[in-house]
Amino acid sequence: MAWSIIQGAGLERYYAERTELPPRPEPLRERWDSVEPERMPDGTCQLRMAVDGLRCASCVWVTESVLVRTEGIESATVSYATGRATVRWDPDRIGLDTVAGRISSLGYRPRILGTEARRDDALLTRLGVAAFAAANVMMFSAAIYAGWLGTMEVAYVELFRWASLVLATPVALYSASPFFEGAWTGLRHRVLHMDVPIALAVAVLYAQGVVGTLVGFDTYLDSLTMLVTLLLAGRVLESGGRRRAAEAAVTLAATVPATARRIVGDTLEVVASESLLPGDRIAVGAGEDLPADGVVVAGRGSLQRALLTGESAPVVVEEGDEVWAGTVLLDGSVTVDVSVAVEGTVIQQMAEQLRQAADRGTRPSSSDRLAPWFTGVTLAVAAVTFSIWLPLAGGAKALATTVAVLIVACPCALALAKPLTAAAGLGAAARRGLLFRSADALLETARVDVVALDKTGTVTEGAVEIVSASDHDVRVAAGLERYSRHPIAIAIIREAIARGLALPAATDVREEAGTGISGRVDGTPWRLRSGGADVVVLEGQDGYRGLIRIGDRVRDDSRRAVGALRALGAYVALLSGDDAEPTGRIAEAIGASEWWADQSPAEKARRIESWRQEGRMVLLAGDGMNDGPALAAADIGVAMGTGAASSIMTADAVLGVGSIQPLAAGVRVSRVCRDAVRANQIRSVVYNVLAVSAAAAGWVNPLVAAVLMPLSSAMVLAGAGRVERRVRALERA
Amino acid sequence: MIAITFLIPIAVGIALVFLILFLGAARSGQFDDLDDPAERILHDD
Repeated sequence: MAWSIIQGAGLERYYAERTELPPRPEPLRERWDSVEPERMPDGTCQLRMAVDGLRCASCVWVTESVLVRTEGIESATVSYATGRATVRWDPDRIGLDTVAGRISSLGYRPRILGTEARRDDALLTRLGVAAFAAANVMMFSAAIYAGWLGTMEVAYVELFRWASLVLATPVALYSASPFFEGAWTGLRHRVLHMDVPIALAVAVLYAQGVVGTLVGFDTYLDSLTMLVTLLLAGRVLESGGRRRAAEAAVTLAATVPATARRIVGDTLEVVASESLLPGDRIAVGAGEDLPADGVVVAGRGSLQRALLTGESAPVVVEEGDEVWAGTVLLDGSVTVDVSVAVEGTVIQQMAEQLRQAADRGTRPSSSDRLAPWFTGVTLAVAAVTFSIWLPLAGGAKALATTVAVLIVACPCALALAKPLTAAAGLGAAARRGLLFRSADALLETARVDVVALDKTGTVTEGAVEIVSASDHDVRVAAGLERYSRHPIAIAIIREAIARGLALPAATDVREEAGTGISGRVDGTPWRLRSGGADVVVLEGQDGYRGLIRIGDRVRDDSRRAVGALRALGAYVALLSGDDAEPTGRIAEAIGASEWWADQSPAEKARRIESWRQEGRMVLLAGDGMNDGPALAAADIGVAMGTGAASSIMTADAVLGVGSIQPLAAGVRVSRVCRDAVRANQIRSVVYNVLAVSAAAAGWVNPLVAAVLMPLSSAMVLAGAGRVERRVRALERA
Repeated sequence: MIAITFLIPIAVGIALVFLILFLGAARSGQFDDLDDPAERILHDD
């Protein structure tokens, strides 16, 4: 079957060029029939999907080639960096499930974007087997070591050795196989990463164990099983849920309504929004989402642009004004001339930007930096040990000592330092209200020196509120607005209630779309109208004119949070899509170092990019969908848990409470963790130097190894356990 | 010391029971998603 695919596709060359054994075919688990692919104008379908299990450039090449040579598939591109494939096919000739089946027949796992990558079941099984064996082998070893004190019949010692070997075999051959695979891949690519010294130690331990059991000398199989168990536990911790940013783009596009009402002659017809073309005329009523970008040719209304600009205050649109897909017409009704086709709309461009930013690839990790150095030194010491002992004590003793060196040199503690510390740090940060997506995001946060904050919904509540107005004006306005659902009306009524004003009854109330509301309160006529971006004017008889100033309320703790961030040495900038006046006022109120007004989503992303190019590490906190591109561009994107779902999906971390207060705590936790990881790495290196010296001197026997090896891991564990306490100490200071 | 011949199988057997329980839990998906349930409260739906 596999051979026929390969031959049919002319891929014999793959076997000469591949650098990695592809994984076995996996059964399809996804529900591909529930996916709506993108319909292209020429009748083909296009879909972007995730492909899990791509492990080398050759995997990408073979996947692309097989897909392109499949009957009915027009084009296919696969990205190794992001693990994404974009496939275009003819729906009349081939189905999506066949496309997906084709990928999985090669051994990779196609996945619908937005669904979670499956956790590796096998990893847990490996861990379970290793833990089971470790518990029992340690018990047998304890018996053997106890036998050293008195007399123990040789037959029983043999029995325990054999029992240990039987249990250690699945650990070495099955549980430890990821380390061997990893080491092999690394050697193939001439990269000495952490798996290489680990695999070396496991191999030496097991070989020594087999020979020792057969010939009859002490083995280190207890160390072997425990080592593999600890390392696998670290790996399980590390492989915790990681979601990719690119998947947020799907949600963004979904906010454009599926259908539009097109005006044809003097009737209306319902058409798919995607089929709208420039020049089409559409009707949009109160409460409806705009299906396309265009210009208002008739009617008026208030437009809520929060999705595009992040600003919740509505603006009035009338003849000649531009409107955009993804905005909402709160009241009134308008006729719109469509100006661009769906692909050209602002919201589509935003989604595209988000995709590109997310495709930037994964950040390089620092964890494997020590490994090559480590392996080199270990091998050198082993070689020196052997060559010194050989003339002194003969082959058997030289070999035993060299084996002991290789065994105690296993960088178990070094490999565990990061996952264990990060797991403790993730918990500590979560208790303070900041949920990190991954260990890498947590550790990177320590280096943040620019904190960019979105204004609306992040440092402010994100809702309109009354800044200043007299009790009289609020009372009258609240009476008029009593039944309106307009955001400003809601704010006025809330203000009246907060001030303890009784809402008067209004009569003859008439709402004029996009301009205001009029009616009689206490028998006299009043009119409430918009007076600009942040003023509502109340007009009464005899030229009475009251001003109600509206604005966005700053969160109570924003100032304190900014102060805490600046105290940590961060440069705090406020980025807003809003006008200069309110932005400046709020920047002042929270004590930001700098502010930028009138920033479009793309400009925000560019601003962040320019900071990054200066070599600064940028953290951005934002809430709206419009912050998606900026969140993806920042080194660390933090979404408000109360914000849009797409921003939450794009983010590296999520603020669990409606406040930016936890940001400073998160930076603190991150710094503690970074220091703890470093300290752990130094400790494990020092430990290794001492242990290897002792082994080279010939002082290490299986009991010493069994005590020494978990000691280093326990040291790392203790370091991780201190994270919470250190963070608390730092908070008190 | 003859006790050893049945104590070892008993000890291994008990551990085996726990291994089977653990594998059963892993297969049934109990460890599939350790992060999302905690964050679910943040999502609207």
